[in-house]
Amino acid sequence: MRRSRGLLLIPFAVLIATGLVVRGQQASPLVLLGVGLPAVDEGPIPDETHRPFSPEAIRRAAIHAADDPVRRGRGGRAFTAGRVIVKFKDAASEGARDAAVRSVVASGVRQPRTASADFDVVTIDPAADGEAVAAAFRARPEVDYAQAPYRVHATLVPNDPLYRSSPSFSPGQWNLQMLNLESAWDIQPQAGSAITVAVVDTGLAYMNTTLDVTIGAFVDELGTSHPALGHQLIPYSAATQIVGAGHASRIVAPHDFVWNTNTPLDFDGHGTHVSGTVGQLTNDGIGTAGVAFNVKLMPVKVLASDWDVAFGGSPFVGGTDDMVARGIRYAADNGANIINLSLGSAGPPNCGTQPNQDGCSPVIESAIRYAVGKRCFVVIAAGNDAEVTDPDFGLNPTSVIAEIASRVPGAVSVAAVDRRALGQTGARRCTGDPNLPDCHAYYSSFGPYVELSAPGGSDRSFGRDGYVWQQTFDFTYTDTFDPAITPTYGPPRFDILAYVGYIGTSMAAPHVSGVAAMLMQQGITDPAAIEAALEKLGIDLGPPGRDDKYGFGLVDARAVLRGLGLAR
Amino acid sequence: MTARRGVRALLLLTVVCGGAASASAQDAPFVSLRVFGEASAERFAAVHSFDATFGQSIQPFYGGGVEATFRDRVFVDIGASTFSKNGDQVFVSNGQVFHLGIPTSVTITPIELAAGYRFHVRRLAWLVPYAGAGAAWYSYKQSSMFAQPSDNIDTRKAGLVAMAGAEFRLQRWVGVAADAEYAHVPGILGAAPSVSNAFGENDLGGIAGRIRIIVGK
Repeated sequence: MRRSRGLLLIPFAVLIATGLVVRGQQASPLVLLGVGLPAVDEGPIPDETHRPFSPEAIRRAAIHAADDPVRRGRGGRAFTAGRVIVKFKDAASEGARDAAVRSVVASGVRQPRTASADFDVVTIDPAADGEAVAAAFRARPEVDYAQAPYRVHATLVPNDPLYRSSPSFSPGQWNLQMLNLESAWDIQPQAGSAITVAVVDTGLAYMNTTLDVTIGAFVDELGTSHPALGHQLIPYSAATQIVGAGHASRIVAPHDFVWNTNTPLDFDGHGTHVSGTVGQLTNDGIGTAGVAFNVKLMPVKVLASDWDVAFGGSPFVGGTDDMVARGIRYAADNGANIINLSLGSAGPPNCGTQPNQDGCSPVIESAIRYAVGKRCFVVIAAGNDAEVTDPDFGLNPTSVIAEIASRVPGAVSVAAVDRRALGQTGARRCTGDPNLPDCHAYYSSFGPYVELSAPGGSDRSFGRDGYVWQQTFDFTYTDTFDPAITPTYGPPRFDILAYVGYIGTSMAAPHVSGVAAMLMQQGITDPAAIEAALEKLGIDLGPPGRDDKYGFGLVDARAVLRGLGLAR
Repeated sequence: MTARRGVRALLLLTVVCGGAASASAQDAPFVSLRVFGEASAERFAAVHSFDATFGQSIQPFYGGGVEATFRDRVFVDIGASTFSKNGDQVFVSNGQVFHLGIPTSVTITPIELAAGYRFHVRRLAWLVPYAGAGAAWYSYKQSSMFAQPSDNIDTRKAGLVAMAGAEFRLQRWVGVAADAEYAHVPGILGAAPSVSNAFGENDLGGIAGRIRIIVGK
């Protein structure tokens, strides 16, 4: 059974020592044979279908119809309703121009001439046919030309087939469009090529190899016994949309703090998915797009997955504070400009004032401050516990690592919004008005430490259309220990990749890392200034100003890359 | 204390010059029309904003206009000048300016209507001090690469000007004037988000040193 993996990822809460319990397993070194084949790319994994005519679909269609004044012209080009472009002849007096407007369309109003225009814009009734009105203007003797305001798009609209919504892949990458990235890519087509983003996570599928491992017997947390599989050769392939087509050199200084090697292979898929959002190869006609698609990637593995445990590399799933702290420091010392931490852990809310109490992570705070001191910008997922009641910290417990960010200029905590933030504009956008959609993702932890928002997706109401999609492992071949996915337990294979939908603040954070990478290449190199730019030039969501759900608002890539002019 | 002394000195000069000039002014025609060309260097009040955007806060204006004098005493002039320059889109954080390498273009075109008084000093017939004040209408246009229509600005606001200087006669039909002008133009700078907002500057005016070449009696 194939279904999208609706994981509320941060799946590896730091310090989680549960998950898989290894019994009688011989710890064996992870041997990588120098033989590996390229991955098989299966394309998007189908999910529950988006049902047409469902209440949700009708509601969204109604919102789109109300918001978007686009009309389709007779020639097939889309244009914006409610105005036409008219170029009057130079000899036409102002009076003659106004008379012409009145004679063509009684309700027409000639707008004040804007900068860099030698033509006029005449506003008309949005219900009127703009092309017909333009034709009527063209028939007037005082008019040189007139036309409807046809839609154009930015130069770089990625040709990756899954970027746009289509009949075969309805979600599209709504998350990238929400960030205004097409315009941002126009501003900076290099897309962060001089910047290194460290993804401190579960590793990355960045090489073709064969794993020579011994898989011992174990009992998972549900009590299911899995027999020893003994010696196995397991195929492992690089994600073609991360390092394919000669892009292997974009991987810099990889390191694995789980196995203590320099080959941080991802056995889960989380790190590969996160890395894809940061810098998936883009505009190559394949798969999905990424934010800063030319960045260099530094995979730093600090979180063990199920198979890391089964292979004998870790006694538990997840990581520990010291591993995370070392990963952060390693990244800072090895040239990372941005550090993405799509991980977290629930803890007390007052570590800022009482850092030495149980449950706080001063070692990670020290590492974050160290990294920022070395001019690294640090991005941290805000956590997925909004609806979780922790036995010690209650409902919506504080994510202690994200909370650190709120106290360190140059580090940001990122909450998740869902796709309801797409298509809403201006004052109608996620204002907190109970009559309007709330864009806050239902799972996204909230509190005074939230600083920014980015798309993390949501499965509620949206199904597969609400996910964030990137290339990673086809989990039907990796999660063979899960009877809900594969009926027969067997060794995994890591050479079958697909486009998989994830949701979580883990997915929101890499959007911010990617935009920060582009901003850094654009000229803002000071981490505190990057944070200030993202916060000040974002799109304020929720009540005016900073709030606990959205922080300072949704990241706007175009706005931050374009910066400020003298008066606007 | 110093300001009070300055005001007193100015009043005294006005009285002395005005009184001293009464005889020569009686010979002047009732109305005399002159045209002038003008170059000025303005130090904008929004010092930090112009520094950040253009690299310096003193910028040139070029223009011209016409002036009418009545009995060579009272004058009314109307003139227009313009400043246009390409700068950079920036981001400002804690006073630090980060240039983003995106060109931005600003054109400022003030139209000024001013009136004042010309002081004739009996012993300095070649020198005519003057002082005046008036209104200005500032046209402000801003555009930048990668801008969407709503990012660009094309607006006009009114402000106040005051000036004082002196005119030198080079020959019967040609003179040159030098003066200092103060302008206060609110309402264009200072909106958020903008460089001027980041620096808390909202006055597009400033203090300008002007040189005019005047043709006419």
